[in-house]
Amino acid sequence: MTDATQAQDGVQTQGETLFDLKGVSFCVGGSEILAALDLQLTAGRMTGIIGPNGSGKSSLIKLLARQQVPSSGEIAFLGQPLSARSNRDLACRLAYMPQFTPSAEGMTVRELVELGRFPWRGALGRMDKTDAAKVAEAIRRTGLEAFADRLVDSLSGGERQRCWLAMMLAQDAKCLLLDEPTSALDLAHQADMLKLVSDLTREGTLSAVVVLHDINMAARYCDEIIAVKRGRVAARGTPAEIVTTETLAELYDLPMGVMPHPATGQPLGYVL
Amino acid sequence: MRRSATLLWACLAVLAAILFALRIDAAWPGVVMADELDRVILFQTVLPRAAVAILAGAALGLSGLLLQRVLRNALAEPSTLGISAGAQLAMALATLFLPGLMAVSPQIVAFAGGALAVSLCLLLTWRRGLEPVSVVLAGMMVALTATSASAALILANGDYLFSLFIWGGGSLTQQSWQPALSILPVLAIGFVASLLLLRPLTILGLDDQTAKSLGLAVNAGRLAILALAVWLATTVVAEVGVIGFIGLAAPALAGLSGARTLGEKLFAAPLIGAILLWTTDGLVQLFADGGGERIPTGAATALLGGPLLLWLLPRLRMMEWPSLGRTASLGRRARRPLALALTIALGGFVIALLALVIGKGPDGWMVAHGTLLSDLAGWRWPRILVAASAGAMLAGAGVMVQRLTGNPLASPEVLGVGSGAGAGLAGLFAFNAAAGMPLQFVAASAGALGALLLILAVSARAKFGPERLLLGGIAVGAACGAIITAVIALGTMQSYTLLSWLTGSTAQTGGDHAVAALIAAIVLLCPAMLTVRWLDILQLGTPVAASLGVPLGRARLSVVVLAALMTAIASLYVGPLSFVGLIAPHLARLMGLTRSGHQLAGAVALGAGLLVLSDWLARTLIFPYQLPVGLLASLIGGPYLVYLLSRGVPSRA
Repeated sequence: MTDATQAQDGVQTQGETLFDLKGVSFCVGGSEILAALDLQLTAGRMTGIIGPNGSGKSSLIKLLARQQVPSSGEIAFLGQPLSARSNRDLACRLAYMPQFTPSAEGMTVRELVELGRFPWRGALGRMDKTDAAKVAEAIRRTGLEAFADRLVDSLSGGERQRCWLAMMLAQDAKCLLLDEPTSALDLAHQADMLKLVSDLTREGTLSAVVVLHDINMAARYCDEIIAVKRGRVAARGTPAEIVTTETLAELYDLPMGVMPHPATGQPLGYVL
Repeated sequence: MRRSATLLWACLAVLAAILFALRIDAAWPGVVMADELDRVILFQTVLPRAAVAILAGAALGLSGLLLQRVLRNALAEPSTLGISAGAQLAMALATLFLPGLMAVSPQIVAFAGGALAVSLCLLLTWRRGLEPVSVVLAGMMVALTATSASAALILANGDYLFSLFIWGGGSLTQQSWQPALSILPVLAIGFVASLLLLRPLTILGLDDQTAKSLGLAVNAGRLAILALAVWLATTVVAEVGVIGFIGLAAPALAGLSGARTLGEKLFAAPLIGAILLWTTDGLVQLFADGGGERIPTGAATALLGGPLLLWLLPRLRMMEWPSLGRTASLGRRARRPLALALTIALGGFVIALLALVIGKGPDGWMVAHGTLLSDLAGWRWPRILVAASAGAMLAGAGVMVQRLTGNPLASPEVLGVGSGAGAGLAGLFAFNAAAGMPLQFVAASAGALGALLLILAVSARAKFGPERLLLGGIAVGAACGAIITAVIALGTMQSYTLLSWLTGSTAQTGGDHAVAALIAAIVLLCPAMLTVRWLDILQLGTPVAASLGVPLGRARLSVVVLAALMTAIASLYVGPLSFVGLIAPHLARLMGLTRSGHQLAGAVALGAGLLVLSDWLARTLIFPYQLPVGLLASLIGGPYLVYLLSRGVPSRA
């Protein structure tokens, strides 16, 4: 299978450059959403993108997912121009979850997860044992075994979100892009979802880029945080480097305080 | 208003005035002033015609503005909501069955028809939160049904109603001041009422929650304004007939010309509507001198309006619409879908067999056998085969279009290719009245293909995105409908051929056509089966489909082309409307066939069975006469659809 051998060269190791953005800007109707961004993202870790509303963080991840095309500049993914890859070839390496996942009406969890095998088999290729194994594995890793034959739409919001994550895992892509995967979830399910993604990246073969709203959630689960403001990278670093009174105040234009987490000692930001 | 825009409208108004002046000049009585006839023509025909054009244009502009505002739908207008066609059907019915009422007040009849049509259209989409594209789709279906019912009435009653169809094309020819004097008070009342309702109208443009929290009785307010808009539009229909697109274009152009607040638009939209219609009518009269005597102005506005709508689409900002909550409808799922699909197919065969042997003779019902059967079979099998093939293709196209657009109200009829086939036929008849069957077939195919290419060209930039595709289809369909109306209004023998095509009749099908239809169905449905994996993913929307690596442009293009070809060929046989393409996919879903492949197989079998059944009913119900099968299918399908939708349709097909 040529697809499989092609994918082998895509297995990145920790520390390799995942995305390389050079002078990437993005404009909509004359207004600049992202301004000449230069940015490298590292493979093998969970990177969080945070920023106030309208900062361009959602546009950034859509550019990375090739859902949108930059107005100027170049994005390289695993050493190759993002634009050079074919649709299915890209989908074998890069999985993306939109902010609002559609209703998967009439589909069972397993059927939805099986769609993740499309990039590997196309419209007509036969599904074989490898595919079945990948699907089963994805369902197992997201803890959905008990729901596998239930209808997706009959599940709760948190479980549905996990179904979509399972679909991305079945896609067998080495890089997951998630656009605010927790925006519709309650606190417990937010933590559940992010812990799952974080655990997956800890296993070493997966990279994840996650847009998040909540700075403390990002700090709790991400290895690295990129703070975006008005279309520029305002700050980047480990959670401890980002969650400081100066950086947060600068980012949100709001006096913020920071205190250590009573149990873990991680810094927590709060509004003064 | 922006200066340049104002200037443009002033220029158009001047153009209209010049055209009008030419008219007056032509009709001016001789120097002697003794020529009484000329005086009558000037005062009773030329002057009132201009007055009616201005008043009707203003009324339609105002009506469109109110509808767009109250439904928060940039595409709402009397003709896209089915109001005009409903009014027309009501008047045709009243002319036949309640002539007394028509004599008293055609306005009341028209209002009743229009109100009924718009209620139906809103009822159909209530569960979807009156989401704009769905409302227009429902309106389109209501309008198509009403038009084909009117056509059937005309066919059944011959010349008596034929003038109705000419009038239905929106002819502004006048014999007195009466129509102008009828529209004037309604327009005045409507305008003053809108001014008084300015504040509630502004608030209704926001979402319901906000409107409610601002203390407005939302539903009562909405109903009152809707009624006002329907009254304005149906008054125009009652006086001069169906004039499309003015109601759509005037408010949109008012917005594009810089009218920002509702107050400004309230003045600008009627003004622009008046200028548009007056200019169009002036141009129509100019060309009428060159021989196009009986082209109704309404047909001309639709002809101009179709391209205008296509141009406007990318520029219209759809009003904010709250994303619909997940109405989790957890339908049945068949445990053994393949077995179920096979059972349905078997049922279809049984129906076809029964249709072959059971019929109505002079002595009532009879089961044919022996020599009688072999005699009758020669007549019956072609139409059964044609009905089955057409039903299968329409149902297949329906599944594909609904999955592609993720909209359960989408159907092959709204792709516009069916109407395109009709426009091809109409065009042929306009140039060659004696064209035979093979030539008709070629012309209809060319028309369908032309319409398809136009729609594809319009939606190509959006990578054949669902909304652009649907709206492009509606626009092309409306323009083609105008061409058909215009040629029918010529009133020749070919008008009847077109009318009977419009209602969908299989009565004259021969064996060779039947075999051709079957081959087409097989050739097109086989590749359709190969697209099911795409269809499964496409219904999840663009972002997901793109991230799974589906080649969006290529996949959508193949699906659309296949669906359009199937629709075009089917519509050659059963007319542009049958609802089979809409209903068969829904039935298949209700039976529990949820995956694309299963749904496609089940729907194809159901569609074939449904249309064979309709065809059988069409030839037995009022034996020895025959009903047109397309019309019958839509009369059966329409109410069922209303029932289906009122129970709440899943948000995605």
